[in-house]
Amino acid sequence: MVEIRDVSKAFGDVLAVDDASLALPKGEFLTILGPSGCGKTTLLRMIAGFIRPNAGEILINGAAVDNVPPYRRSIGMVFQRLALFPHMTAAQNVAYPLKMRGFDPVTIPDRVSEYLRLVRLDGFEKRRPQELSGGQQQRVAIARALSFSPDLLLLDEPLSALDKKLREEMQLEFRRIQQELGVTTINVTHDQREALVMSDQIVVMSEGRIQQSDSPEAVYRAPSNRFVANFIGLTAMFKGAVEVSGDGGILVRVGDTALKARAQGELGNGTAVDCALRAEQVRILDDPANGDATAFENVVTGEVRQRIFEGDRMVYEISVPALADAVLFAFDHDPLHHAEHRPQSQVKLGWNARDFFAFPSDRT
Amino acid sequence: MAETAAGGKPLSWRLIDGVDRLVAAAWPRGLHGMNGYLFLLPAVALVFILVIGLGYMVEFSLHELDLATYRLKEAYSLTNYQTFFERPVYIRVLWRSLLAAAIVTLITLVLAFPYAYLMVRTTSAATRKFLLVALFLPFFIGQVVRAYGWLIILGKEGLLNSIVTGIGLPPLDLIYNYPAVILGLVQYMLPFAVLLLTPAVAAIGEDIELASESLGATWIGTFRHVVIPMAKPGIIGAGIVVFTLTLTDFAMPEILGGGTSDFIANAIYDSYFQISNIGLGSALSIVLTLVGSALVALMLMIAGTGTLGFAERKS
Repeated sequence: MVEIRDVSKAFGDVLAVDDASLALPKGEFLTILGPSGCGKTTLLRMIAGFIRPNAGEILINGAAVDNVPPYRRSIGMVFQRLALFPHMTAAQNVAYPLKMRGFDPVTIPDRVSEYLRLVRLDGFEKRRPQELSGGQQQRVAIARALSFSPDLLLLDEPLSALDKKLREEMQLEFRRIQQELGVTTINVTHDQREALVMSDQIVVMSEGRIQQSDSPEAVYRAPSNRFVANFIGLTAMFKGAVEVSGDGGILVRVGDTALKARAQGELGNGTAVDCALRAEQVRILDDPANGDATAFENVVTGEVRQRIFEGDRMVYEISVPALADAVLFAFDHDPLHHAEHRPQSQVKLGWNARDFFAFPSDRT
Repeated sequence: MAETAAGGKPLSWRLIDGVDRLVAAAWPRGLHGMNGYLFLLPAVALVFILVIGLGYMVEFSLHELDLATYRLKEAYSLTNYQTFFERPVYIRVLWRSLLAAAIVTLITLVLAFPYAYLMVRTTSAATRKFLLVALFLPFFIGQVVRAYGWLIILGKEGLLNSIVTGIGLPPLDLIYNYPAVILGLVQYMLPFAVLLLTPAVAAIGEDIELASESLGATWIGTFRHVVIPMAKPGIIGAGIVVFTLTLTDFAMPEILGGGTSDFIANAIYDSYFQISNIGLGSALSIVLTLVGSALVALMLMIAGTGTLGFAERKS
């Protein structure tokens, strides 16, 4: 459906998108995830046709669209600031693409009400954007982008301006509409939760390059490099060196301690590595029901530096002297029913090798 | 911080406290709700003085000139207004002013809009700076000086005609006619119009135009259905300013028209200072004020009250 082949784009000396390739089957929802400035918006705008790539090819429905202006591409786009037309009512906004694309005027009113119903805005036809709430404006924007049945829907961080609760509600709403219509969708965001919740496929970008392209589960469970591991989840990073490399697992020396780890890539003895450890894989062994030290391959003792109460969980920031004072994070998911660990107190921590990723230190 | 012995407070704090106490004595707290209105006073005073002047003019306009004494007669009469309606020359002058105002407004807006648009949208800082300087430069040169500038360029022995005669053609009559007045006025009004249009164009996010394009509109469609309607408040505002300034203009028809294309302001001037008829001059002024106000009111009515930025804002 959409295919991007070796696309690059430079602005002056800055390489915004560096040799990006991806493929998206019909009806799927793909999210391009990355920090601001990683080139994700540039890539999206090249697909929309607002920016021309310096190199590479973009194909939609098998045809190269290099010379097709945006108004002749069959693409609906929802903008970051929505870009609703303030001088038109909700219905007029939704009717706009139909008029511009030469739909039979007789069919327009029916289509408009059909799509307003789809986004659950029936009854709001005559309101202007400034008379609607943030969530309702989102709905108008998505109805407007879909009313002409485009082949492809592009979302340029439209949810980033909403507060958390509304954002999470709209994530599910966008997903529902996308699945109901089966429209192929590319979403851009810096919000990892949004990417994990909404997508069939996640493309992680950093510094103009695609770092990993996989299903949400795979991106989370098997990060392909240091950047992805660090960017997604609450992750602690340790610097170390491979001491013993074997078939199944390896031993990595961090500070004074040798830890069992899972090698991501070929790692020979002595290789400098960055190890990534997600907070939810670390168990505080002093707490009941977390098992004892024998159940874990790596066990260390650390000192609590900070504890952050988040309601449903307590996040501990713990420094470990035996690991050259590296800092790691651990969760307590039942903070209300047993004693908390105060700062400066000692805690015993355990985790397993399969959750401890070792990446070669030089960036891939 | 400069600590002092008394109370341990810095001197500056105590000074400000003293000032605050004085202010509180002179302007009690209960009156603070009216603070905003206080700042309106100078503007209100200014308008009030204008209204007094206008009142005097209405009074003058209702007395006929006594040709024996060259003073206004005691008795009230509508003779001056009768003169305006009976003498074709005054109707013609008013019509000429109105037509010029309409033409100048139209041409100026058509020229100013692309200028404002380019100034807002250009990605080149150098271009924007150039356009800004070019916009403000004319403000440093008065209207009269600019009119004389046109005389130097377009006059019988001006720059343009020296080229024309240089290649052996007879000199052209480029000044002392209606088109010359229009030209001078358009050049004079252009910066005002650009200045008033720029914020209106700047308020249209670039995303809005991209959205329109992605929804299927060509740039012409985007311009017609999105940019122009969204810039309407600025267009109406600029139109009203250019229209009224042109309608009441004096210098351009005086200098570039050379008596052939008098506007109503020139007729008023002549009544006051050439034929010393204060009554008639006042009557013409009142007619001009009424016609101008009526037209502005009409424009605002057609465009809707929301156009000048007073749009109802609900959240």
